[in-house]
Amino acid sequence: MTTPIAYFLVVSAALFTIGTVGVMVRRNALVIFMSVELQLNGVNLALVAFSRLHGNLTGQVLTFFSMVVAAAEVVVGLAIIVYVFRRRRTANVDDLAVLRW
Amino acid sequence: MTEAVWLVPALPLLGFVVNLFAGRRLGRAAGWLGTLAVGAAAAIAVAVGLDVLAQPAEERTTVVHLFDWIRAGAFTVNVDLRVDQLSVLMILVVTVVGALIHLYAIGYMEGDPRFGRFFAYLNLFVFFMLLLVLAENLLVLYVGWEGVGLCSYLLIGFWFERTAAANAAKKAFVTTRIGDTFMLVGIALVFLRLGSLDLSTVLDPAIEGVQPSGVFTVIALLLFGGAIGKSAQVPLHVWLPDAMEGPTPVSALIHAATMVTAGVYLVVRTHLFFEISGVALIVVLVVGLVTALYAALSALGQDDIKRVLAYSTVSQLGFMFMAAGMRAYSVAMFMLAAHACYKALLFLSAGSVMHGTHDETDLKRMGGLRRRMPWTAGVAVLGALSLAGVFGLAGYFAKDEILVVASETGRTAVWLLGTLGALLSALYIGRLVFLTFLGDARSAEAEHAHESPTVMLVPLVVLAVGAVGLGVLMLDPDTGLVPTFLEPVLGAVPHGSAGVGSAALIVISQVVALGGLGVTWLAYASGRVDWLALRLRAAPLQRFLSQGMHVDDVYASVVVAPAKAGSAFLAYVVDARLVDGIVNAVGRLVQGLAGVGRRVQTGLVRTYALAFLVGALALLVYVGVRA
Amino acid sequence: MSADQIVFWVFAPISIGSAIAILLQRNAVHAALFLIVNFFTIAVFYLVLEAPFLFAVQIIVYAGAIMVLFLFVIMLLGVDRDEVLTERIPWQRPAAILIGIGVFAELVVAIRAGVGFSAKGPEAFAETANRGGNTEALARALFRDYFLPFEATSVLLIVAAVAAMMLAARHRRAITPAEQEALAAEPEMAEVAP
Repeated sequence: MTTPIAYFLVVSAALFTIGTVGVMVRRNALVIFMSVELQLNGVNLALVAFSRLHGNLTGQVLTFFSMVVAAAEVVVGLAIIVYVFRRRRTANVDDLAVLRW
Repeated sequence: MTEAVWLVPALPLLGFVVNLFAGRRLGRAAGWLGTLAVGAAAAIAVAVGLDVLAQPAEERTTVVHLFDWIRAGAFTVNVDLRVDQLSVLMILVVTVVGALIHLYAIGYMEGDPRFGRFFAYLNLFVFFMLLLVLAENLLVLYVGWEGVGLCSYLLIGFWFERTAAANAAKKAFVTTRIGDTFMLVGIALVFLRLGSLDLSTVLDPAIEGVQPSGVFTVIALLLFGGAIGKSAQVPLHVWLPDAMEGPTPVSALIHAATMVTAGVYLVVRTHLFFEISGVALIVVLVVGLVTALYAALSALGQDDIKRVLAYSTVSQLGFMFMAAGMRAYSVAMFMLAAHACYKALLFLSAGSVMHGTHDETDLKRMGGLRRRMPWTAGVAVLGALSLAGVFGLAGYFAKDEILVVASETGRTAVWLLGTLGALLSALYIGRLVFLTFLGDARSAEAEHAHESPTVMLVPLVVLAVGAVGLGVLMLDPDTGLVPTFLEPVLGAVPHGSAGVGSAALIVISQVVALGGLGVTWLAYASGRVDWLALRLRAAPLQRFLSQGMHVDDVYASVVVAPAKAGSAFLAYVVDARLVDGIVNAVGRLVQGLAGVGRRVQTGLVRTYALAFLVGALALLVYVGVRA
Repeated sequence: MSADQIVFWVFAPISIGSAIAILLQRNAVHAALFLIVNFFTIAVFYLVLEAPFLFAVQIIVYAGAIMVLFLFVIMLLGVDRDEVLTERIPWQRPAAILIGIGVFAELVVAIRAGVGFSAKGPEAFAETANRGGNTEALARALFRDYFLPFEATSVLLIVAAVAAMMLAARHRRAITPAEQEALAAEPEMAEVAP
C-alpha cells in the first residue's frame, strides 16, 4: 500500500461533512436518515484506515460493531418513520413542528 | 377585693369577645349580655371602692401587678392597675353610667341588623376606658387612650352606609390623632427625662428636682395637647359636633360621659407636672375658658338637638379645664361626675325624643312634646336645670364652685367670663328644652310622637336622680365627701378671700341661671315673643354661630385641601404612574425578552440540528486550539 | 503509480461525487441509489485497506440489506414524490454550508497535525495483523478480546427487531363507515390506513 493513510482520512472527513450538511438541508425524513448513514460510513472508513495505520485490528472490530448498530438503528428508525407517516401522512420533517412556541 | 380589680376591665372585655363571635346568634340577648358585663363590673367597682374606703386615708393607694409586658433592657413596662381614690371615682362613673346607657341602648337599637356588634363595640370601649383610668403606667394609659379612640371611630361610623357618618368617624379619628401624637411625644419625653413611665415613680413630688422646670412645661403642654384632642377643646374641637352622626347611646356614653373626660382625667392625674411648670396651668386655664365661651355661643345657634348638646359638652369640658387650671382638681372631678349624669341624661332624652318622633332632630320642627312624652320631658327638664346651675342640683355644686374658686383666688376676669359662660349655658339649654317640650307641635312627627319603652325610661330616671342628688357629695369644698376623699391624691381646693364674698356669689349665680332660663322661657315657650321673626332678623348671626364660627371651614381650606391635593398627587402621579409604571415596565420587559427568546423553540428538527452542529464545531475548534 | 493508488484516485471522486449527488436529488429513490453507489466505493476502499471481510460485509449488510430496507420503506410510504426545492427556513442553507466547510477544515487540520500527510502504515500488515487471513484474525479478536460487546450486540439486534415489530404493527380495529367512505374515495391509501 503506497497511498498515504491521510488521503483516506480526508475522504472520510469529506463524506462525514457531506452527511452533516445533508442532515441540515434536506427535508425528507428518509433522506435525512440516509445522510446519517453516510456520516456513519465516513466514520467507519476512518476507523478502518486507522486500523491499517496502527497495524492492529481494533479499528476493524469497531467498524464491525458500528455496522451492527447501524443496522439495528436503521430498523428502528424506519419503523418510527412509518409510524409517524401513518399518523401524520407526511415524511416532511418541517410539518412535524408541534413542540414550538 | 382590691386585688380583684382586674375583673372590672376584664368583664366588659369578655362581653366584647362573646358578642363579637356569637352576637348574631344571641339576638336581643346580646344587649342584655353587654349590659350585664358592665353592670357586674360596676358592682365590683363598688366593692373595690368600699374596700378602699375601709383603708385609712394615707394607705389608699394600691398597685395591682397583672403581668410583665415589655422588657427591653432599661425600658420595662408592666401592666399594673393603680387603685387609688381618683381611679376609683373614675371607674365608678364609667361603669355605672355605662351600664345605664347599655340598658338604654337595648331599647334604642332594637331592630338594628348589627345589634350584637353594637354591644360588642360598646363593651370594648368600656374595657379600654377602664384600662385608661386604671393604668399605672403611662404607656398602658396610652393603649387605653388609643383604644377608646378606635372604639369612637367604630361607633360614630356604626351606620357606615351613611356617608356623613363615615366621614364624621374619619374626622374624629384624624383630629384626635393630632392630639395623640403630641401626647406620645410627651410620654417619650417623660421616659427620656424622668427615667420611667410608672405613675408611682413620676408622680412622686420628689421628681421635681430631677429636671429643670422647663422640661416639665414641655411635658405638661404635650400631654395637654393630647387632652385637647380627646376632650375636644379649641382648636381640636371640630370633630365632636360631627360625631353626633353616631347612635345616641354612643353620643351619651363616649362623647359626654366618658371618653371626652379622659383628657380631664389625664391633666388631673399628672397635675404635678403642671404645677411644677406653672405656665402649663395658665395655658390650661386659658384654653378651658376660651373653649367654654366659644362653644356656649356656638350652641346657642344650633338647630339640631344633638349638636346643641355636643357644643354644650365642649363648653362644659372647658369649665372642667378651667377648674384644673386653677388647681381645683377635686372640683373638676366632681364636675366630671355630675356632668356625666346630667349630660348623659340630656343625650338619652334627646334620643328618646328622636325615637318618639321617628328620628327628627330639628328643633324648629318639634314642640309640645311634654304632652306626648311626659316622662322624657320631666327628666330632661331636670337635667337642664342641673346644667344651668339651679341651686341644690348637682350642676350648681359643680359649676358654681368653679366660679367661686375663680372669684376667691382673685381671678376676676376669669370669674366674669365664667359667669358669662354660665349665662350662655342657661340660655342654650333653656332654648333646647323649651323649644322641644313646651309650646305647640310644629310638625306632624311632633304631633304623633310616642313615649319610649320602659327599658329606655329606667336609665333616664336613674340618671335624673344622679343629676339632681349628686350634689350631696359635694356640699362644701372643704368638708364635702368627694373633696376629702380625693384630697390625699389631688390636694385641697384653693381658697382665698378676694372677690365679692360667698353670699353675693350665690345670688349672682342664681340670677344668671334663673334669669337665663326665664329669658328663654319667655322667648320660646310663653308665646309672647315671635321667636321665628327674631330668628329671621338675626339670621346672619345665627348662621355664623351654627357653623361653629366657621372654624371648620378654615381648617378645610388651610389644612384639608392641601393635604388632599398632596395625597392626590402621590396617589395618581407617583403611585399610579411612577411606581406602577416601573412595575409594569419590568413586566413588559420580561414579556419582550421572552417574546424574543421563545423564537428559539421553532419545533423544526433541522434548526435544532443546526444548533447542535454549531456547538459541536465550537467545541472542536476549542479542543483543536488547546491541542 | 501502484495499483492501490490508481484504485484510490479513481474511486475517491466517485465516492465524494455520489455523496454530493445524494444531497442534490429531489427524488428520494434517486438519492437512495446514489447512496448505494457510495457504499460500493467505500467497500472498495476497505479492500484497498486490506480489510476484505469488511468489504464483503459492507456490500452484504449495507448495500444489500439496509438500503433495500430503505427503498422498501420509500416505496411503501410513497414519498418518492419530488421534494419542493424552496427552503423555508431563512439562513438554513448558508449556515449549513458554512458549518460543513468549518467541520471539514477542522478535520483536515486535525489529520495534518495528528497523522501527517505522509504516513503510510506498517508494510507487513498481512503477516502481523491479518495472520491467517483477515477473517480468521478478525474472529480471533472478536471472540476473544471483544466477546462481551459481541453478545451485547446480539441482544441489541433482538431488541431492535422487537421494537420495530411493535412500532410498525397495525392495530386492527373496526373500520367506521366514515373511514370506509374515505377509503372508497382514495383507494391507494388502503395499504397505509390503520
